[in-house]
Amino acid sequence: MTGTTDKIYDLAIVGGGPAGQAAALQVAAAGLSVCVIDEQPLPGGQVLRQPAAAGAGAGWMKAAPYRRLAAQHAAFVAEKRIDWIGGFSVHTASRQAEHFRLSLVGATSRSISARRMLIAAGCYDIPVPLPGWTLPGVMSAGAVQTLLKAQGIVPGERCLLFGTHPLMLVLAEQIVAAGHRPAAVCFAQSQRQMLGRALPHALRAMRTPGPLLAGLGAMARLRRAGVPVHFDASVQRLVPSTDGNGLGAAEVAIAGRTCSIDADLAAMCFGFMPQSDLPRAMRAAVAPAHPAGWRTLNDAQMMTDVPGLYVAGETVGVTGADAAMAEGKIAGAAITHDLGALDAVSHARIASAAIRQRERLNGFADLLAAMADPREHWPEVEADTLLCRCEDVPCTEVDRAILQHVDTAASGGASAAKLRCRAGMGPCQGRGCEHSVMRRMAQARDLPVADIAGFRARFPIRPVPLGSLVDPD
Amino acid sequence: MTGPVSITIDGEAVTAPSGASVAAAMLASGRQRFRDDTRGSSRGMFCNMGTCCECMVWISHGTGWTRLRACLVAVAPGMAVLRQEPELA
Repeated sequence: MTGTTDKIYDLAIVGGGPAGQAAALQVAAAGLSVCVIDEQPLPGGQVLRQPAAAGAGAGWMKAAPYRRLAAQHAAFVAEKRIDWIGGFSVHTASRQAEHFRLSLVGATSRSISARRMLIAAGCYDIPVPLPGWTLPGVMSAGAVQTLLKAQGIVPGERCLLFGTHPLMLVLAEQIVAAGHRPAAVCFAQSQRQMLGRALPHALRAMRTPGPLLAGLGAMARLRRAGVPVHFDASVQRLVPSTDGNGLGAAEVAIAGRTCSIDADLAAMCFGFMPQSDLPRAMRAAVAPAHPAGWRTLNDAQMMTDVPGLYVAGETVGVTGADAAMAEGKIAGAAITHDLGALDAVSHARIASAAIRQRERLNGFADLLAAMADPREHWPEVEADTLLCRCEDVPCTEVDRAILQHVDTAASGGASAAKLRCRAGMGPCQGRGCEHSVMRRMAQARDLPVADIAGFRARFPIRPVPLGSLVDPD
Repeated sequence: MTGPVSITIDGEAVTAPSGASVAAAMLASGRQRFRDDTRGSSRGMFCNMGTCCECMVWISHGTGWTRLRACLVAVAPGMAVLRQEPELA
């Protein structure tokens, strides 16, 4: 047997980060049965990636921005009534007559049944193509940060951070604290652009001043540590090391002048997009997310248009871990009430407190999204720059497929290009290249990106080794 | 938790802390290159969270070779890792 049980959970949660934890604690406190499934072996999500390797300390968790999250995390770990299913990917899920059925793969295969389902799968760094971005040593900022948090390593001597998102300041400081000195932090936007975009949101953002002050403090401390922080600095090309097997340098245009910065590690940071493959493959309604990807639509109870399927956290739009926690509470209370284990008065009390908490955070979330806006700063690609990293499809082939498609049909969206050039057909299922293909298609047809249909999501949404696809039933 | 774990990467012995991911063991031992692509170019890990599938390597732990995401698999004693597809037996 490979781990099938007959148990039907009241709730199955996909994602053990701040939103999933908040919901699980609500539901478990009412005595309902709940399991939390996560690809990581340990709970916490990406924001609280726990030290997995012996020797990797978690000193970073004591920093002010993590305190509330860390307190909830401790409560989650201590709550014995929650079944933690770590190290498993959900590759297929469907709503059946009586319950949801989820197929998982990890060290073994197993399936889970549950009366309700909550997707709190978080977000991921927008993978932004530019010349040289497939060189070993070029990673997402999230990769460099989670290597540091969970494994205690920085896999390079000279790390260049580039993009548009202020998270770069936090990461650079963490790299300094780990005893390394980043090569530079390069913001593609100018300070004037960043402040101009922030200004309309500044007053509302001051309702939660903590992160703003942390950002300013980080910038001052980086300068003191001798880490250059450049604005109006676009990385135009990542250049291989002399042996060709890694990164050697980056060509950067700083205020219009091109210079070269030596680097053996690069952390790309243009912002984040929701993990949307699971809700989309389950046919829940989605809308374009800012600045890329898809956010799943929900009602006031955090339920999607698929009855019994709930969403919370970055799945509904990237607004940060504290907002995700509040949404998890709203969803958890709604599900507990829906299952008859919470009376209407208590439900209303818990929900309204969480909604107020959520709304307090909107100002800062809007400010950060505006400051970090990458849309005027996507790097230029070249003909042979790979857009689809799984199937090695260069930009020129994607463009040809788009043009063929324009010739033959007016509509059809990115899936039509996918069929012609294989972009999006690899193991990542288009999570990497979909937004790039859509953007190039929009450019070619002179349409807003929002008018382009995305890839059709299909199961399995995560790679399943051959032999594991056989349902244990 | 136990002490360091010994695995092999392309036949070479590598030691990693207990709980380390295969990807972290590769990076910590100076291996940024995880595979070669269809054009013969070196490729490495990108997202470290199971999303991009760039870090897929061949892993054997007593039950034949399986292509897995190196960032999601923890090292285990006796585990063997190959960066290119093994010869079919």
